Amino acid sequence: MFNFMPEQASEIASNIDWLNSLILWLSVFFTVAIVGAMVYFAVRYRRRDGVDHETPRIEGSNALEAVWTIVPTVICVFIAYYGVAFYAQMREEKANALEINVWAQKWKWDFEYASGKKTTAEFYVPVNRPVKLIMKSRDVLHSFFLPAMRVKRDVLPSAYNALYFTPIKTGVYQTFCTEYCGMEHSGMLATLHVVSQAEYDRWVNDRSEEIALSRVTPAERGEKLYNQKGCNACHKLDGSSAIAPSFVKLFGRNEQLADGTSVTVDENYLQESILHPNAKIVKGYPPNLMPAFEGQVSDDEIQALEAFIKSLTTAKQEQAAAAPADPAALAGMSPADRGKKLYNEKVCVTCHSLDGSRIVGPSFKGVYGRKQKITTGQEIVADDAYIKESILNSAAKVVEGYPPAMPAYQGQLSDAEVSDIIEFLKTVK
Amino acid sequence: MSDTQHNTQGDYLHNPSGLWSWVTTTDHKRIGLMYLFTILLFFFVAGISALIMRTELAHAGPDFLKAQQYNVLFTLHGALMIFLFIVPGIPATLGNFLIPLMIGAKDVAFPRLNLLSYYIYVIGAIIAVIAVIPPVETLSFLKSLGFTGPADTGWTFYAPYSLDTGAAIPWMVFAAFVLGFSSILTGLNFIVTIHKLRAPGMTWDRLPVFIWGSYATAVIQTLATPVVGITLLLVIMERLMGVGIFDAKLGGDPVLYEHMFWFYSHPVVYIMVLPAFGIVGEIIPVFSRKPLFGYKMVCYASLAIAIVGFFVWAHHMFVAGISDFSAIAFSVITFGVAVPTAVKVFNWVSTMYKGSISFTTPMLYAMGFVFLFMVAGTTGIFLATLAVDVFYHDTYFVVAHFHYTIQGGAVIGLMAGLHFWFPKITGKMYNELAGKIGWVLVFAGFNLTFIPQFILGMEGMPRRYFDYLPQFQPMHMLSTVGSFINGFGYTFALLNLFYAAMFSKVKAPANPWNSLSLEWKTASPPITENFAETPIVTEGTYNYGRPVEGLAH
Repeated sequence: MFNFMPEQASEIASNIDWLNSLILWLSVFFTVAIVGAMVYFAVRYRRRDGVDHETPRIEGSNALEAVWTIVPTVICVFIAYYGVAFYAQMREEKANALEINVWAQKWKWDFEYASGKKTTAEFYVPVNRPVKLIMKSRDVLHSFFLPAMRVKRDVLPSAYNALYFTPIKTGVYQTFCTEYCGMEHSGMLATLHVVSQAEYDRWVNDRSEEIALSRVTPAERGEKLYNQKGCNACHKLDGSSAIAPSFVKLFGRNEQLADGTSVTVDENYLQESILHPNAKIVKGYPPNLMPAFEGQVSDDEIQALEAFIKSLTTAKQEQAAAAPADPAALAGMSPADRGKKLYNEKVCVTCHSLDGSRIVGPSFKGVYGRKQKITTGQEIVADDAYIKESILNSAAKVVEGYPPAMPAYQGQLSDAEVSDIIEFLKTVK
Repeated sequence: MSDTQHNTQGDYLHNPSGLWSWVTTTDHKRIGLMYLFTILLFFFVAGISALIMRTELAHAGPDFLKAQQYNVLFTLHGALMIFLFIVPGIPATLGNFLIPLMIGAKDVAFPRLNLLSYYIYVIGAIIAVIAVIPPVETLSFLKSLGFTGPADTGWTFYAPYSLDTGAAIPWMVFAAFVLGFSSILTGLNFIVTIHKLRAPGMTWDRLPVFIWGSYATAVIQTLATPVVGITLLLVIMERLMGVGIFDAKLGGDPVLYEHMFWFYSHPVVYIMVLPAFGIVGEIIPVFSRKPLFGYKMVCYASLAIAIVGFFVWAHHMFVAGISDFSAIAFSVITFGVAVPTAVKVFNWVSTMYKGSISFTTPMLYAMGFVFLFMVAGTTGIFLATLAVDVFYHDTYFVVAHFHYTIQGGAVIGLMAGLHFWFPKITGKMYNELAGKIGWVLVFAGFNLTFIPQFILGMEGMPRRYFDYLPQFQPMHMLSTVGSFINGFGYTFALLNLFYAAMFSKVKAPANPWNSLSLEWKTASPPITENFAETPIVTEGTYNYGRPVEGLAH
């Protein structure tokens, strides 16, 4: 009864909940007892027929006063003691703690790992290992709250604040910002993934996203940044411009500014507006709303964002150009050429190089017919059957020294497509 | 002029007559009434803004407000309720009206200063109102004066957000600064009045507990308010001149702001609630026909709360980045407030033992107060407990807790007092049945609004959220339904009083409740100079019932 707390996912959670329940039951007991006594007196000694009866002039009792001063004092000391003891557990820095840097900024959370891995709005930790979050804000006060871990700490622009917890249960947990920080305060959420050590190792070393990022067009990269940096919170792509100007058909447009002048949206205006948003505010929008990104985005990233914004003006023409390939044209290609096309389209290219270099997975150079050792210690030959199995059910036989990072393509590729890819691999020497 | 003529023609409401005589009055009773109407106006506005918020929050997702509008509304609700309604609250209204009457004085010690306090309050209120007007084209001159839009910081004005936002923070903060002066002057006036103007025989150990509560309040007003005044001036200096005090960008420290702000704003909670304790301590003995149980302990408890209340401010900052040692120290001291508060509750309830209890509307409010304050006090224990507060800090649990203390405590106390002294203030009787219906609505609506918010807090719902995750939906809906019943209840109860004051034909006798307190010894409504001749006090205020042989103190 009365247990509304989120699930207990950290070492200290059960202690906190025990103390919480203790206070709750003491509170219920005393409230029922005192209010019960009041209601009992009220009914028992009620005035009857509108006439007061005689009452004794009882002015007090030193004994009773002593009892109800001492009893609450003892209970308070008891509760305060446990509150302090559990707080000490909560704040204890463990020797082997995993350190993660957390940056708060209106209105997003960034996470940086020692491995160089950076994420936004979600982060991973291994189960049963103490975690230390080293937190700082880039602008105003924020507060990082992990209900399932029962911990919370403010995030300041002036000093680092550390938060400790030891997750004991795998799962996905919600985090909140609990210090009011302006317009999108309630949208400043993040997700904590508590995973097994093996899964964590794979995740934290998996650079495929970054590598994929380096292989996409600037506009695609810009789109990703648009979501990562939180531009999407205010600059919408559905054409609505309620909070901030929409990016759709923005590039090249002539904008009226708040100071009465006007400006054409070009590369320089976009760069200035990203770095110093208040310099030229479009008429009808409030200043001081958008955080300044100076020092937080690289020139490359600005360029990618600009390419993305441009693509939203020229989208129509592009779409026409990128019409799906004609089936007849595909039929006319050789199987190896079709395989190469799939190699690029299905993003094998992200992890498997053609020049012998190691990315995430083994290079495809000379892969066909190669002998290699898999994680179970067995020797296998990369023949048709092995390659087909590795594409469709990639985790079955992983080559030793590589993470089991590849998604299974079962159901996403036809048999004919798989054989096209194999034909292509035969040509990569 | 005979005595009877004096009483009927010379009552303070009509003597002297005319609007000008009200505007320039130095009569504490009239000033109390003028305060009452002004603060109720802001109670209404701030209450409406709460209902708009609750309507938006009934469903998850944006409904009819934008995030920014919501943020302005909760700032408006908090700032108006705190600075314009509940801080002046009981002291400026019932305190003004009753303190001289209860101690047998003709007026407060500095009547003109009292009037000045009121007008300073009005000036502060006007600045606050202009500062919350959204920018409109026709009033563009306001913008050039720095009224750049309604504050969106929450009533706490935390730096550095309050330094960054485009809203008219300097004006809003200046309004709070001005209002602080009004509060200081009122406090000072009451301290001197209670020390110097007691009637012969009105010794400290015969003073009604409402006077003790008001005295403790006045001490806090005088000592704590200057600190928030300084803090708010520093915010203005930082905004307008770029002096780096709280802003990290300028080398300042935002945690310093929190310390300075809460050094005032925690004791201010006791400014709100100590007078309410006093009111309950007056009402329960009268309607139980019993002396207030443990009178001395009740008085000392008020002083203890006022003193300890000065040393607990950092319990608002357990997770703010203060040292672990500070957090532990402030947690332990905070428990020191719990004990005297518990002592008070035990004494009120014991007063009813073997009484002759009549269920008038003021008594129902007082009994409702005991329940609500039990909930407020016990949930305060959760928040004082260091490890548990880390979870609850800045969740709906805190929102529910302080509404139980401030609405369940101070506002319910004010309602109890308004009903109890209504015959004295107006010379009329209100409709008892309508009063009871109002009480049921307020009590039921209040609990339905805030019990779900405790549950939301346990579930981990943060406060000041415009939008929320779907799991919080059911409790938000319940809370919204409750808030409308609550709002309707207050409207109903206050309209009942207002109607009776204006139109009731039922004249109140001088002492309708058979109270032994001094204010009931003069006419209803009192004559302008309070008492025809200075009363002489010969016994304690609570000598109800038949003396009992052999019953020790």
